[in-house]
Amino acid sequence: MYRITSIIITLFAFSILQSGCRQSSTHHIRISGAFALYPLAVKWAEEYKKTHPAIQFDISAGGAGKGLTDVLTGADDLGMFSRELTPEESAKGIWKVAVAKDAVLPTINAKNPLVHYIQQKGLTKAQFQRIFLSNGTLIWQSVIDTPVSVPVHVYTRSDASGAAETWAKYLGVKQENLKGTGIYGDPGLADAVLKDEYGVGFNNAIYIYDLQTGKKREGLEVIPIDINNNGKIDADENFYDSFDHVLQAISNGKYPSPPARPLYFIAKGKPDNPDVVEFLKWILTYGQSYVKSAGYVPLPEQTIQSSLQELNQQ
Amino acid sequence: MNRGKWFDLLSDNWMLLATLLMSILPLSVGFGLLIESMPLLRQYHLRHLVSSSAWSPAEGKFGMISFITGTLWVTGLSLCMAAPVSLLVSIYITQYAKPWLMRTIHLVMDILAGIPSVVYGVWGVLVIVPWISQKLAPALGYSSSGYCVLSGGIVLAVMSIPYILHLQIEIFRTIPIELKEISLSLGATYWETIKYVLLKQARRGIIASVGLGISKALGETIAVLMVVGNVPQIPENMFQAGYPLPALIANNYGEMMSIPHYLSALMFAGLILFLIICLFNSISHWIIHKMHQT
Repeated sequence: MYRITSIIITLFAFSILQSGCRQSSTHHIRISGAFALYPLAVKWAEEYKKTHPAIQFDISAGGAGKGLTDVLTGADDLGMFSRELTPEESAKGIWKVAVAKDAVLPTINAKNPLVHYIQQKGLTKAQFQRIFLSNGTLIWQSVIDTPVSVPVHVYTRSDASGAAETWAKYLGVKQENLKGTGIYGDPGLADAVLKDEYGVGFNNAIYIYDLQTGKKREGLEVIPIDINNNGKIDADENFYDSFDHVLQAISNGKYPSPPARPLYFIAKGKPDNPDVVEFLKWILTYGQSYVKSAGYVPLPEQTIQSSLQELNQQ
Repeated sequence: MNRGKWFDLLSDNWMLLATLLMSILPLSVGFGLLIESMPLLRQYHLRHLVSSSAWSPAEGKFGMISFITGTLWVTGLSLCMAAPVSLLVSIYITQYAKPWLMRTIHLVMDILAGIPSVVYGVWGVLVIVPWISQKLAPALGYSSSGYCVLSGGIVLAVMSIPYILHLQIEIFRTIPIELKEISLSLGATYWETIKYVLLKQARRGIIASVGLGISKALGETIAVLMVVGNVPQIPENMFQAGYPLPALIANNYGEMMSIPHYLSALMFAGLILFLIICLFNSISHWIIHKMHQT
């Protein structure tokens, strides 16, 4: 009886030890955070594993805020982050590296009776402020001069998100000041505007355009930004017809920033884990070739070089 | 002492220990939440926190009243829908239905109880929200986006019905068949028997089951926050958006690091929710107690 028990215990202990050993021969990189960066991070992880089979990735989306919290609590090696750090956050020793760019675009339902009119005139920052920051019920008449009375149903993100924070920053406020019905997640927000004839919202570019065709999603239109405030959309303000043109406008700075923004990986202090450093270096070099095909804007060469230099310094 | 006695002693103590741990658990949860929300309570007056509707953490405004009313709206609506439906179904199933129907309902209940809450949330967004915005609200003379406390109430009701129903069916089954036979033999009709004998016998259990079902559903955050609109305001009718406490915690838990007192405010929201659930259960226990006396 005792012998059997001891044999079982030995076997049990041995199996635990073995599984421990197995884990130490493969290396895990744990990443979580912004919805905006999630598809690209998954793509990078797939490609990286082809040349580094010993590395295992755990990647999950859950908003920029979750990424930050996980990094600070040590649950993650890297956080995906889609907004600027606040001074309080930087004071906690957060280290960041820009890895790609994208943009938040204002959206409107394609069936809205005023959609063509709005697309010709565009909206200025002040008009967007009136839409996203006013209390109470709103009609388009109080935003632009139109003879017909059409209601405005504003939608925003309910969860702590980089897209909402970036859009709020463009309007000069914080996410919590944005008015409107709060919807969970980027796909949910796109759907809410898609279903409501009078809906107005905003989305990460990759959730508005179809990556395969480069066209806008059926039923969703972009509200052009009237950057020079002249009351109409000029030829160089008009780049919303295809995903390629939008990405180009973000890249050459024609689309204002914010709402265009760099996307970051963050860590608690400069990472010293060689696997993580190696992965970040790969992202800044070979990894950049996957950025465009995944629907993002590559970083300027200068930014990449200075980041690489920082990573190489020990 | 021989081996059997040791065993008895050990198992007795173990069970006592487990029972004690179990009863300390709610206390420790409440106490933990209280400690975490202390920084906020030290800074602001409790009455101000609970009665103010100004919510703007970056400016240091932590008014909770819109979240409390949002919670009460959603819970109240779901209670009004789930309680009568489950009572009628459980009476029908135990008293009138054929065995095959009963088996089917059991299967349906198990399936409903097993569906993850995020699926209920998606169902709410795809079905309930458009139905309310396009059909129900216009028919009643309101204009609504469909993301409102009513949607939250419906989703919550559907999620809590399987739990309530399960308990109620069991309760009706435990009532001795003789009681029914006596009532019938005295000349009461079948419906009179149900009304005066069965319901009277089961009423305490019915109240307890509804209380349990709703308390359980109250925490089903993700499904509710996907349909309820998440606007920090006091809803004036059921077609307006609300913002229940669990949704507040789930939506903002990630953001807490950057703003002072934010974490404490979210823990305070948790504490309020905890107290609401305690209150809810106490009331249903009090009703049961009152009935016991009469």
